[in-house]
Amino acid sequence: MLDIKDLVGGYGNVQILNGASLKVMPGQIVALLGGNGTGKSTLLKATSGLIRPWGGSITFDGGRIEGLRPDAIVRRGLVQVTQGKEAFPAMTVEENLRLGAYTVGSRAKTAQALERVYTYFPILKEKRTQLSGTLSGGQLQMVCIGRGLMSSPKMIMLDEPSAALAPQVVMDIFRTIYRITQDGMTVLMVEQNVRMALLLAEYGYVIKDGIIHIEGPAADLIHDDNVRLSYLGGTVANREASL
Amino acid sequence: MEFFIDLLIIGVSIGMIYALVALGISLIFSGLDIVHFAHGEIYMIGAFVGLTIFQHLNIGYVPTLILAVIITGFIGVLIERLFYRRLTSAGGGYTVAGMGMVIAGFGMSIVLQNLAYLIWGPKALPFPVPYGMPLEIGNLSLPMSYVWIVIAALVFMGVLHLVMRKTMIGLAMRAVAHNKDIAYLSGVNVPLMISTIFGIACALGAAAGVLVGPINYVQVLMGIGILVKAFAAAVVGGFGSLPGAVLGGLLVGVVESLGAGYISGTYKDIYAFVLLIFVLMVKPTGILGVEAKVKA
Repeated sequence: MLDIKDLVGGYGNVQILNGASLKVMPGQIVALLGGNGTGKSTLLKATSGLIRPWGGSITFDGGRIEGLRPDAIVRRGLVQVTQGKEAFPAMTVEENLRLGAYTVGSRAKTAQALERVYTYFPILKEKRTQLSGTLSGGQLQMVCIGRGLMSSPKMIMLDEPSAALAPQVVMDIFRTIYRITQDGMTVLMVEQNVRMALLLAEYGYVIKDGIIHIEGPAADLIHDDNVRLSYLGGTVANREASL
Repeated sequence: MEFFIDLLIIGVSIGMIYALVALGISLIFSGLDIVHFAHGEIYMIGAFVGLTIFQHLNIGYVPTLILAVIITGFIGVLIERLFYRRLTSAGGGYTVAGMGMVIAGFGMSIVLQNLAYLIWGPKALPFPVPYGMPLEIGNLSLPMSYVWIVIAALVFMGVLHLVMRKTMIGLAMRAVAHNKDIAYLSGVNVPLMISTIFGIACALGAAAGVLVGPINYVQVLMGIGILVKAFAAAVVGGFGSLPGAVLGGLLVGVVESLGAGYISGTYKDIYAFVLLIFVLMVKPTGILGVEAKVKA
């Protein structure tokens, strides 16, 4: 579904991505892991069109999308949900969600998408007339994911959906992401919460210095000594104990 | 008391003119992150376009107003596409390019003044609209030109409000004003939306120009004074806030009119700024202003 090859890019004259390649198959949940400043978010932004890649190719659903404007990429069915729970505080919950259906252009389909988002996040239906500026962090994250789903995309890219949320809320969000993929959505997820991400994902990539460093099925990565040492806070010695 | 009401009516109608221009300045600021210093000239061009249509097409005042508003709106879109786009896409108000944008605005105002001078000449032209008899309410007699300004301005503001609140385009414009990246990722064609915002702002400026024509002359330098007043109005109401622009415009208009009537007409242009300084002392964000937009 998504095939990124040798992606090079950055901001201004600072190069961050040094030829990253990754693949996401239809219906898969793929986790993109890595420490701070390794290029995870940059990779997502280059893919969604927020920054223009300097080199490499991005193929989505059979067509090349590198260098397209973000709204054109949304129209092709690839949506990014950014980090930091960015909603429009002066708009109501429902207005925020409706904005996500901007490319849909049909009232009936928008209403349908809205109902589906409300089944994933029932709390948003209760709060639909409230300004999103008054929501809690978890609810705000739900608004952002919901807005991403409103255009009924083929694939969604989530940038740290669990960042700065309470553990219970993180569980809720991950459970819903799982439900969404069960309904046929393809997901590429950047996460700091490596253990949770690898439990949910089928396949994982570890990015380091703007290049894919380790990749493999999530079940293998969770046992991989390098991944464990770097991101799971365990040591090789206490491997058995921690699992 | 009658004198007071007369002044109030004049103040409110002039305030509506300030409000329309201030709305444009606020819209552009919220959408493009720039302060548009050529907006007074857009108002002037709008007035001339209206006058030309009125003289040559003979289609009555209301169709003239609507046509002038649409044409000037498209002129605005053209100006944004051809000249401002490069500067705003480099970052807008909070960057070095934003400084360039301020200069570009002043440059544009000089260009438009000279263009208008070439096309319409230096003379102040009358905009003779046959309004008929003043409206009589009790002891009051309201000149129809003032009544028209208030009604037409309210209609434009009402339409703007409905568009912003009830349509997908309005939702997209509000999104672009707040966060362009998220608007983009929601599938909004951000460059098109920026052109639309700029076009609407210019259309409102033109409306003000055509409305003020019949009570004033239409002339090349009419944009200079209004820019400063409308700017004061926008700041008094809260820069970037649309309801604030309307409130600020009305306040500036009324304060100016009452000041001219009761204190002295000689210092007419000072009252707006006394009000501005007073409001900024009490509430630095303006009356309806919120904290400055924070950029991610």
